[in-house]
Amino acid sequence: MTESAHLLDAFDARAQRRDQRRAFFKTAMGAAAAGVAAFTLTSKAGAQSTITDADILNFALNLEYLEAQFYAFAANGTGLASNQLTGTGTQGAVTGGKKVTFTDPIVEQYAREIAADEAAHVAFLRTALGSSAVAQPAINISGDANGAFTAAARASGVIDSNATFDPYASDENFLLGAYIFEDVGVTAYKGASPLISNKTFLQAAAGILAVEAYHAAIVRTTLYAKGIQTPALITAAGKISDARDSLDGTTDLDQGIAATTVGGQLVSNIVPLDSNGIAFSRTPQQVLNIVYLNKASATLGGFFPAGVNGTLRASAAN
Amino acid sequence: MSEERFILDVIEEASAKRRSDRRRFMRMAAGAGAVGGLAMLGACGSDDNDVIVLPTPTPTATAGSVTDADVLNFALQLEYLEAQFYSYAAFGAGLSASLQAGTGTQGSVATSTSGQPRQVAFQDPLVAQYAREIAYDEIAHVTFLRNALGSSAVAQPAINLSGDANGAFTAAARAAGVIGSTGTFDPYASDENFLLAAYIFEDVGVTAYMGGVTLLSNKTFVEAAAGIHAAEAYHAGLVRSVIYRKGLSNGTLITAANQISDARDSLDGSTDLDQGITVTANGVTSANIVPADSNAVAFVRTPQQVLNVVYLNKAAVTGGGFFPSGLNGNVRTSAASG
Repeated sequence: MTESAHLLDAFDARAQRRDQRRAFFKTAMGAAAAGVAAFTLTSKAGAQSTITDADILNFALNLEYLEAQFYAFAANGTGLASNQLTGTGTQGAVTGGKKVTFTDPIVEQYAREIAADEAAHVAFLRTALGSSAVAQPAINISGDANGAFTAAARASGVIDSNATFDPYASDENFLLGAYIFEDVGVTAYKGASPLISNKTFLQAAAGILAVEAYHAAIVRTTLYAKGIQTPALITAAGKISDARDSLDGTTDLDQGIAATTVGGQLVSNIVPLDSNGIAFSRTPQQVLNIVYLNKASATLGGFFPAGVNGTLRASAAN
Repeated sequence: MSEERFILDVIEEASAKRRSDRRRFMRMAAGAGAVGGLAMLGACGSDDNDVIVLPTPTPTATAGSVTDADVLNFALQLEYLEAQFYSYAAFGAGLSASLQAGTGTQGSVATSTSGQPRQVAFQDPLVAQYAREIAYDEIAHVTFLRNALGSSAVAQPAINLSGDANGAFTAAARAAGVIGSTGTFDPYASDENFLLAAYIFEDVGVTAYMGGVTLLSNKTFVEAAAGIHAAEAYHAGLVRSVIYRKGLSNGTLITAANQISDARDSLDGSTDLDQGITVTANGVTSANIVPADSNAVAFVRTPQQVLNVVYLNKAAVTGGGFFPSGLNGNVRTSAASG
């Protein structure tokens, strides 16, 4: 293979990933979506000029509550301490959540590490916000038939329309449950940052963004490696990715973990990136589409049955 | 006190306090960290056409500051280094010549009969797939930054990726204690060596972009840098996860990774900006895939601290290590870090 062929393949690899993704799209795709996305976010940022940095940090705090509670229950069997839940708005309880009986000790270690990180994010943001911090809203992380995980798994086709998805039932289900959240966290922090004005906050947000990307890589790498023996895992991750993508509008902002073949050689897809090697962004409203499990403009649903607290609480109309 | 002022004070106090009781490998009091600005604005999140309308970076600096072009050119040279390494390891060939030209002094990838960078004969097919994926990503970063910089893009400087006794990898491995003082570290010799070599670069890339974005003024560039920042963190998470899993049956891998982390940390000054892949608490050792402070926020290195690492020199110098002739461009002197 020549050197120039390598370069061309670099683009081909991404193009193939995009093509693969497009094949799964449930919603109609705009052929010229690139410019649309740019203008959409820019106009939103401008239209919402009254949003404060505290609004943005509180939005992030809601997401961290969700992640922290999921991992805390999965790793330790208990949720966040009660003094980490108070604040403005309506405080809600956690529905569901239990300790996973891990069979792979490495997955258990990863769960503990991520749980500690997410709890630290909650504490950090609450400390930063002080008396402005929102309370934890009602959170549904149940593993039963009425759980948000089951709704997400049904909608994505990971399970049948009357089956139950319990993210605490096995290592594999835990990893898929984590997968639902982690890449979204990366895109959320990247997408929320244009709305932050204070540079210290932005630097902190970038540092949390990087940590979420590390987490996402742990989860994706582990799922992919296990998926070599259990291909259904790779299929399920792809379906979850497609479902996220169908909720957040027509722009392709998500990628599964299936390998592609470039020049006759398999290339993994641990890192979801555009063809410039750059990670995706989601607006807060697009993130809410995913965690509410609703592509319409809504103020609650899915993992947040009473909605998030704070001023950023309505999802986009997609 | 305004709400924002309060929040700022609390963040700064909390950061200073918590860094001082860092959970892992803490060796120094904290604080120095360059908490600068990050203004990730712009929205180029679509990969559909990947058309990003790029402004022209201003090549002329005002006194005492760096321009966006300086920062992007600094990043470009780190990407040259990473892209060449992964491209050789994955494919047995380097970047195309058309991706190496530019301003400053163009250099080549150092070659020698024994240490020529080469394709790794991967034993684990997954590691081979990962190498290809990361190689393609890093090549894309080179291409993207060169496109952004246009005629301002710096040439690839001389790069030492040799696997022989005179290679920068060997110097780094000796300094870290991964090998003895007369040993040779060949990153192309095995899956494990390849992963350790990748480990040398990846976390540094994360901290570099995190530091670099604070120096950028144009928001489109800042947003792009944040996106590359995330990509490097994914890469680093991938490499660290794989090393950790393989390390459970090959303890020397974990020891080596932790030694490399300590070596990086000893080069960049007294602040703890690095962590290995394990943590021991209450006598129990477990995974530490994510290097972060006690707030679970990733670390920042200034460009000058990054140069300490890639020059393999804690003093203020203008070349050495992986860049034997130094960098091109205006950001080329490492910090006086020890």
